[in-house]
Amino acid sequence: MSQEQSKLSSKELKELKKKEKAARRQAQKEASGITPEQQQKNLEQKLQETKKTSQTPTNLKKQLNQTLIKNEKKVPHLFGHLETREQRNASSPTISNLVHPSILTLTLKYSNYKIVGSNSRLKNMLLAFKQVIEDYKTPESTTLSRHLTNHLSHQIEYLKTGRPLSVSMGNAIRWLKQEISHISIDINELKAKEILCSKIDDFVKEKIELSDRLIVENASKHISNGSTILTYGHSQVLEELFKYCVLEQDKTFNLIIVDSRPLFEGKKLFRNLVDSDVTNSIRIQYALLNSLNSTLLEDVDVVFLGAHAMLSNGRLYSRVGTALIAMMSHTRNIPVLTCCESIKFSDKVQLDSVTTNELADSEDLINNFNIPPQKKSFALEQFIKQEKGEESINDSPLANWKDLPNLNILNILYDLTPPEYIKKVVTELGSLPPSSVPVILREYKNT
Amino acid sequence: MTSKQIITPEIHSLIDPVISNLKRHQLIEDKDVALTIAKLLMKVISVSKWSNPQELIEIIRKVGLIIHKSYPRKIIPGNIVRRVLFIIREETIEEEDNINSNFPMMSSMFSLLTTNKRKEDQIQVAKPKEKTSDLRSIIAQGIRELIDEISNVNEGIENMIADLIHDNEVLLTPTPNSDSVLHFLIKAKTKRNFTVLVTENYPNDIEKSHYFVKKLAEHKIETILIPDSTSYAVMSRVGKVIIGTNAVFANGGCLSNSGVSQVVECAKEHKTPVFAVAGLYKLSPLYPFTKDDLIEVGNSGKVLNYDDYKLIENVQVVTNTLEDYIPPDLIDIFITNIGGFASTFIYRIVLDNYKVEDNKLD
Repeated sequence: MSQEQSKLSSKELKELKKKEKAARRQAQKEASGITPEQQQKNLEQKLQETKKTSQTPTNLKKQLNQTLIKNEKKVPHLFGHLETREQRNASSPTISNLVHPSILTLTLKYSNYKIVGSNSRLKNMLLAFKQVIEDYKTPESTTLSRHLTNHLSHQIEYLKTGRPLSVSMGNAIRWLKQEISHISIDINELKAKEILCSKIDDFVKEKIELSDRLIVENASKHISNGSTILTYGHSQVLEELFKYCVLEQDKTFNLIIVDSRPLFEGKKLFRNLVDSDVTNSIRIQYALLNSLNSTLLEDVDVVFLGAHAMLSNGRLYSRVGTALIAMMSHTRNIPVLTCCESIKFSDKVQLDSVTTNELADSEDLINNFNIPPQKKSFALEQFIKQEKGEESINDSPLANWKDLPNLNILNILYDLTPPEYIKKVVTELGSLPPSSVPVILREYKNT
Repeated sequence: MTSKQIITPEIHSLIDPVISNLKRHQLIEDKDVALTIAKLLMKVISVSKWSNPQELIEIIRKVGLIIHKSYPRKIIPGNIVRRVLFIIREETIEEEDNINSNFPMMSSMFSLLTTNKRKEDQIQVAKPKEKTSDLRSIIAQGIRELIDEISNVNEGIENMIADLIHDNEVLLTPTPNSDSVLHFLIKAKTKRNFTVLVTENYPNDIEKSHYFVKKLAEHKIETILIPDSTSYAVMSRVGKVIIGTNAVFANGGCLSNSGVSQVVECAKEHKTPVFAVAGLYKLSPLYPFTKDDLIEVGNSGKVLNYDDYKLIENVQVVTNTLEDYIPPDLIDIFITNIGGFASTFIYRIVLDNYKVEDNKLD
């Protein structure tokens, strides 16, 4: 008998214990016969106790869960599988004592769209990681190569609460963890940290900056003097491409910037172009997605699209609206090109935009019509809510949309463009058709 | 006769307020425009002095031209004027037929070869003056029927619901400003359960879209508001697309809000059926030969705010198109108050309601 019990796995044992505990508690409660009023009192007492207790990680987590009160999940049933911001926040480990301050600021910047775009998110993350590594001290009785990965995982967990990781960030993290595990235990800590930091620098230089340079040089062949280019939203590479064409190749061309709600990233591209003083050579036309039909009537020579990721089945995963532009250009026989660094290649396969996507805040679509969402931190929002109570300041018809059980607002961030709409993918490894993405992935893995 | 003589000051005093309302875009709802024009024409007919139908037709045509010139991109006023002309002509033909029964049918090819001049002469000869007051009341009755038709347009459309939507269907509508679509969906709820996706139509109709979804949700319809950019992403889940229209042309193409054409194209790409909802009064006998002329352009400040001086200074073109032309092959069925028709059949319906000789008003 005793042998049989010992055979039980640790998981089963845990479950058994849990059950026993629950049963005991139930019995206790029944025995003492607590009235509802007493229960209330007990609850208040407990609440005060928790306030008194020190802020251990687990307690913090509990508190956060309590502040959530009711989980107002308002996601349409078709999209119920996508994670909302509230859910992300609730599931996050609020171990702020373990999280590096640079990660805290970065998370905040992610969540209020101060840093958007796959490239700049990746770059800023790696820079933050560098700081984390610099400030890191290996605890006694562990080694750096083992403990640092664990430490980084905590940072990444926290980072995810701002926004889910992008594909390129995932790739970079995988690389970094591998690099850490490669560091031998014999090297002293200071030296190891130095090695890692320089490796991160090299990675940024190689995978982002030099890659972009190559892509820009490659893609600039498609922009000739006097041609009309259409682009959607903001992409770091494309911005550099347009600047390069003017500043280094002395070209003049027409640029149609198509933009959409709620992020208005096209305005960001526009502003950056104005700031770098290239608007004398680029005739800029600004249009919203809705007037695309009449915009495309003008002779557009080529469409350049940015990318968030290229999936292994050749589909382009990018800012929502990209597929629409690619489709319309395709039917009008306008070539569609996309510029994408190989760090954004993913071995995932996906068939439509609904199955995997990032759900942004629905509120972003209601509150401000003409400006990108100005988000406050979650804690501040909670605070404002408590202070103001139920009175709401805005008078838009949907101010209280959450009270209407049948109303949902869907704000997804990405969509999937099928490979047949895309003529060419420009990468630092050369230009290729979308069908060749898995080939590149295989080569990449083998090296 | 010159236009000055035809359009008396009394008629002018009737037309002017309507024209200025149109010019100032104070009449926005298509239905209101149609009703206003119909009522205006009724008043014009009762006020104006005419001794025979041909003179009346001349007056109405002139009035129609003035209204058309005040807002050339609005198709509906022209439609109503032509509908009224149709009523007048129908009545006169009947009268003619009584007198000269072997007169050829107007709609036949044969009439293309005859001139209107001779007909005019005949009518003038045939018409004794006492008959005008009789004709006046007959025409007034015809216009009253037209007004009834326009005001009850939604009921006619609603009757087709049960045939078009199945249970638990997902619909998408890119025209949140359409009153007909709203009525259609609310009525459909009484018979079916379904989900509606509504695009925002930023920047021109965004507030209307918020009211639209609120109305739908209050009627217990599962409603999802989506930004315009999301239409491709969700199209694979959509069963049918329902669009409202601003005008339907004889070739089966139609004008609708800006942004609709991309949604419809997207539906075509996914082989999703597209329904266009249109009252009969939106059908126009014209053909959309010059598409660029049809599309109205609105306030570009809504697209790029004038506050943003840095961008405004450097931008060359900002356009805010208010409408989109949708070619006939992208629409599967037009739902009108007299039934559903394929887009290829619209020209026949147009022939039933308009006279070819009124296609050009000037």
